[in-house]
Amino acid sequence: MKIALVGNPNVGKSTVFNALTGSNQQVGNWAGKTVERKAGTIHRDNLEIELVDLPGTYSLTAYTQEEIVTRQYILREKPDVVMAMVDASNIERNLYLVLQILELAPRVVIGLNMMDLAKSSGISLNAAELTKALNVSVVEIVAAKGVGIDKFLAEAVRVGLLKKDPLVRQVPYPSELEEKIQAMENLLKDISWASQYPLRWLALKRLERDPEIGQEWQSVSAPESSKDKKRETCCDSGDALNYKLKNIIELPGNDLLQSYEEEGWTKDHFEMAFADAKYNYISQILPRFLIQEDLRKPSLTDSLDRWILSPIWGYPVMILVLALVFWASFIASAPLGEAVSQGMAWAADFLVSLLQWIQAPAFLTSLVRDGIFAGVGAVLAFVPQIAIFFAFFSFLQDSGYLARAAFLGDRLMQLMGLHGKSFFSLVSSFGCNVPGIMATRTLEDPKDRLITMLLNPLIPCVPRLGVMSAVVAAFFPGTRGAMIMLSLLLISMLLVMISALFMRKVVDQKERSAFVMELPLYHLPTLRNVLWPTWHKTYTFLKRAWTFILAASIVVWLLSSFPQGVPMNSTWAGKMGEWLEFIGKPLGFDWKIMVAIIFGFTAKETTLSTLGILYGVAADASQSIAQAMTGAMSPLRAYTFLVVYMLYIPCLASVVTTYKESGSLRWTAFGIAYNLILSFIIGWIIFHGGQAMGFQ
Amino acid sequence: MERSLGELKPGERACVERINGGGALRRRMMDMGIVPGVELEVVRCAPMGGPLQIRLKGYYLAMRRGECAKIVVSGEQHKAIEHTLASR
Ligand SMILES: Nc1nc2c(ncn2[C@@H]2O[C@H](COP(=O)(O)OP(=O)(O)OP(=O)(O)O)[C@@H](O)[C@H]2O)c(=O)[nH]1
Ligand SMILES: [Mg+2]
Repeated sequence: MKIALVGNPNVGKSTVFNALTGSNQQVGNWAGKTVERKAGTIHRDNLEIELVDLPGTYSLTAYTQEEIVTRQYILREKPDVVMAMVDASNIERNLYLVLQILELAPRVVIGLNMMDLAKSSGISLNAAELTKALNVSVVEIVAAKGVGIDKFLAEAVRVGLLKKDPLVRQVPYPSELEEKIQAMENLLKDISWASQYPLRWLALKRLERDPEIGQEWQSVSAPESSKDKKRETCCDSGDALNYKLKNIIELPGNDLLQSYEEEGWTKDHFEMAFADAKYNYISQILPRFLIQEDLRKPSLTDSLDRWILSPIWGYPVMILVLALVFWASFIASAPLGEAVSQGMAWAADFLVSLLQWIQAPAFLTSLVRDGIFAGVGAVLAFVPQIAIFFAFFSFLQDSGYLARAAFLGDRLMQLMGLHGKSFFSLVSSFGCNVPGIMATRTLEDPKDRLITMLLNPLIPCVPRLGVMSAVVAAFFPGTRGAMIMLSLLLISMLLVMISALFMRKVVDQKERSAFVMELPLYHLPTLRNVLWPTWHKTYTFLKRAWTFILAASIVVWLLSSFPQGVPMNSTWAGKMGEWLEFIGKPLGFDWKIMVAIIFGFTAKETTLSTLGILYGVAADASQSIAQAMTGAMSPLRAYTFLVVYMLYIPCLASVVTTYKESGSLRWTAFGIAYNLILSFIIGWIIFHGGQAMGFQ
Repeated sequence: MERSLGELKPGERACVERINGGGALRRRMMDMGIVPGVELEVVRCAPMGGPLQIRLKGYYLAMRRGECAKIVVSGEQHKAIEHTLASR
């Protein structure tokens, strides 16, 4: 049995999905997190159920990429049952989509979620009356606390097993409209193609001139296997499915449409009239099941917003919040990182003495000490930073603050000529560029989307920030480090702004972008929603460290140790670096840094592990990379390295995602070239500018 | 008296008269519940020409001034659709 979770954005679909399937879909308190369908399997009463989490949508007439995913799923995959999720605290608007779903899918169960929020804002709902009004079963749930979820599924299964489609109460359309709908129904009712959808829905869509009516689509499985994706990215990007147009059927009714159009009933007019009828119907039935107490005292959201969205206090609060997040994750976490380094050093020493005791060959000892521990150890040292960052990030996401930050930051986005929703994409990129690029799906305009996609790599993701903070801690101890980190973030922000304006020119975007966004009510984040993503991210990172980074470390160690017995710069790695040195020279980089940068293409942490090995091997003793590097580089060079490292191509996974999302090799190549050239130019300016100003 | 939504001051309420311009943006607004007859309240404006916070049907929206300019509203409405408006 196929069951789909459908509803407005931010009503808790993914929360229910996670609870039922044990998955780890992104959850947060702003609209538009899920941008790709995601399937999970559940077994209930000898039934195998495929539950599908879909992106939220305000209507089934979709225009943004993620809404199209939902629409296509419902239309082309035809789930057996639709679990229609509704935000009880905002039921009036939510029911608009439910009415659309009811016209299309006969088997629907309504989940009234956020009953807790509804109650606290003085709304009492009578589920039984709602059931009566629409003739659909309704289940009250509080998804965040796990209340009613099982009942919701059980009800969906029950409806799915019914012998006959239940009869749903239809939206009454005004008589003038009803006549037109029926005329169209009469024309369509004998067409065999039409029998796969409810007749009424088809007639409505035909009157709206929906382009998909009459088309037949065939699914073609996505070219790359999903296993592949999981290995290379740090984030699950869902189960994409592509379609191919198979056939177009000529439907009757063109003359009718023509004559309606002459009477002034255009496609737009029909759409408006249908929407009006639905909203009217909702406000008619609303008093039957909803009682709104007139609460005099402002809600929690109102009181918080008085400060958080205040024209005066809003910005200081925002700066404070951001400062806290970055300070806690990248500066205050230093002792923890140090402790991990210490631990790793002890473990390395212990293992090495063990190896020496059993008289293992020298190259094995070197592999363990200079390859594995120097490489993987360096990367593991910033696990605490990743964990702390994601804990804060998840907290902000789940509280509802992110949408407020978007509201406050929108003026700046406008100055850059960016769409308001680009904000979410760019913020997600701090976690990882891959979901950041995916999040551009919520932008309607393809050019806006492309611009935002191309800007994403300039945002340093957490692994990058981790590497940077490790290098900063080595070269600029104490408070100076915080200032350096801040300056790097400012450089990245400044470049995002300049690049945004530049990209607008390149992409030739003249439109002023729109921005209509829901501001959700604040929630107290649940422990699960904070800790689970934190753990998951940290775990994926750890896993990558002991698989991918381990392999890369061994490769780098091999390259830098063979042929044996020659000086470092005649090893294979040295030779490789020699070729690259001419690129690095203008920036003051030696060959080791160039090799590390090249390896960073695969995944950005590899740069640090590679540096660890190259400097560690040279020093021929187990010392921290910090010590090894500070001996070999001046602070100015280190700073130049940090800037270049922050800006050049994020990683292979993000490039692949850009290609998949933009569908254009040309723009992907442009993005890569832009990043490379930009990082080189900025690096050059900093290095030579710094020298001219007398820094070393 | 007809005005655009952008001309309302924080705290003011008005009823949607029509939405100028067509296409995707009008549909989007329709899907979010901004249809003729609906009562809107401007809650606050972000400074320096930033977006407006609007309340309708018991929930909050953020909208840029450009979009607000397209929504034509007519003075305060006293008809009793109070139940649909959360007075939170
Ligand atoms: N107070 C409260 N919050 C809830 C409830 N259910 C979910 N939430 C919160 O609502 C927010 C949105 O939940 P999601 O599961 O991400 O919503 P979604 O429908 O998948 O959203 P999109 O993917 O953006 O369409 C999260 O912050 C949840 O923690 C509930 O019953 N009560
Ligand atoms: Mg979701």
